[in-house]
Amino acid sequence: MIKKYWMIINNEIQRQFTYRLNIAAYAFGNIAELVALTVIWTIVYRNIDAIQGYSANEMITYVVFAWFFSFLTTTYSFEQNVARDIHQGNLSSLLVKPQSYIRYIMAVAIGRILIALGIVIVQGILVSLFFRDQLIFSHSPSTFFLLFCMLIAAYIINLFLSIIIGFIAFWTNEIHGIYYSLKVFSKFMSGTFFPIILLPVFFAKATFFFPFAYTIYIPVQLYLGKISFAEGLRGFAVELLWIFILYVIIKILWKFGLRKYESVGI
Amino acid sequence: MPIIKVSNLSKTYEYYKKQPGLWSSVKGLFHREKLYKKAVKEINFEIDEGELVGFLGPNGAGKTTTLKMLSGILYPTSGEAKVLGHTPWKREPQYQKQFALVMGQKNQLWWDLPAMESFILNKEIYEVSDKDFKENLDELVDLLGIKDILDVQVRKLSLGQRMKCELVAALLHKPKVLFLDEPTIGLDVVAKKNIRDFLKRYNQKNKTTIILTSHYMEDVKELCKRVIIMEEGKIGYDGDLASLIEKYAPYKVLKITFEGEGVKKVDIEKYGEVHKFSSHSITLRVPREKAKNIARDILSSDLPVDDILIDEVDISDVVRKIFNNNKS
Repeated sequence: MIKKYWMIINNEIQRQFTYRLNIAAYAFGNIAELVALTVIWTIVYRNIDAIQGYSANEMITYVVFAWFFSFLTTTYSFEQNVARDIHQGNLSSLLVKPQSYIRYIMAVAIGRILIALGIVIVQGILVSLFFRDQLIFSHSPSTFFLLFCMLIAAYIINLFLSIIIGFIAFWTNEIHGIYYSLKVFSKFMSGTFFPIILLPVFFAKATFFFPFAYTIYIPVQLYLGKISFAEGLRGFAVELLWIFILYVIIKILWKFGLRKYESVGI
Repeated sequence: MPIIKVSNLSKTYEYYKKQPGLWSSVKGLFHREKLYKKAVKEINFEIDEGELVGFLGPNGAGKTTTLKMLSGILYPTSGEAKVLGHTPWKREPQYQKQFALVMGQKNQLWWDLPAMESFILNKEIYEVSDKDFKENLDELVDLLGIKDILDVQVRKLSLGQRMKCELVAALLHKPKVLFLDEPTIGLDVVAKKNIRDFLKRYNQKNKTTIILTSHYMEDVKELCKRVIIMEEGKIGYDGDLASLIEKYAPYKVLKITFEGEGVKKVDIEKYGEVHKFSSHSITLRVPREKAKNIARDILSSDLPVDDILIDEVDISDVVRKIFNNNKS
């Protein structure tokens, strides 16, 4: 039972290896994004000591770790895979097999990111060495363990969101617009580029009604020691709640989407 | 006891009308006219264990829709179907483990990996034991002669090789029922023949019930004793292929090209019914049993024959004839 999904992960990893250049291309883009962010903040802090309680080193640490966490938990546009299955009819050949499609795509998604994940971790280490004089290193093992759990939860949240957007393909041929908007919105709301506290109060408050802040902002705050361990735990609990909510949404969309697929054949 | 039983099965698709032009597209954002297409109309048939039945008909006749309903991908608008005692669209794993669907225009193999990886994955999905897997794989690989391509990336295979691998992937769990949707589409003559020979042998050996759709007369003629002919969602003929050909296609077609001066119509009219005529190329309809003799006569006459081809009647002609007969 478990074995079949392990085989899917295994196949997907092998498949990624046939696209070595693609992996390298991703790695290049990751670095470019980080360079842009650190350059901006270094310039901003030239004449200022602190912004909203963030010292220059704290800000650089924030940016580097937000970058690191966002690439550790990205699904690399997995919604496109789901949408493609639906539009190109691959779903048909998956449906006739004794397997669950939702579990199947989750296995594919996990297999798909593992190599990229390895590269991101290597990059993260190199970047940390490069910025070693500016970064703040936290040492508590329990904090690290909680962070680890939060990042896994963050990945699951991102994956579920990708599946939800992918399922929109049941109703429309165009998911790119929705995907693009959500991407920009989530980057903004998650605090990937800067701490949410820099946003106008209304927006800063609004972010906590969405799952995004819990995937980046809260984990980085925990790392920086700006929130307590207990607040970190609370953040993790909210992540788990979101996972549950998104899973229910996936189940509902799947049920109705499949009904549509069965009636139209797409 | 039939293994497949279909009663009053219908499928109506909903779709939207789109007028040409930009303004209509804008209007379409707010209001769209719904249209219905009846793809399958109240069809009935039964298939016994071990039968190899051909579904024949032009594109859009409802063949694929029927197969999709029988494999549980599509939900019917009305009617019933039972395959191996299961209702297909409930998609019960017990049913799914006992049948397979191969679509000529789709592939289930992992494109970027050698076919072997997809086979191993299917082994896990269908929960085939190591022993059965090895036996079935060896048998299939041997029958299809593909031992040397198992470790080649699927996308680097030719269409014919890929179709063979698709068949292996579909048959590894020894399905009792096999649905084949246009399995020879796009293949060259040799590859088509290979696939047909394989299916024939496999069906004889394993008593697998097979439904095959095609719009090639050749596929069906070689393989199936029984054919079901569909057009516009209805079954026009269900029965023995031999008597179908006798009844509706009692003739063959001779395509002859001439060199030099060409021919006059009067010179060839005596050989059969002239269908198309130009001085250098003609099409002749002749009674099926006399086709060989007539061809020989033409070749040995003093007509300037360049080439001669004995061909089957176009299947769409046969289908049209059946439906015209049914209507009148």
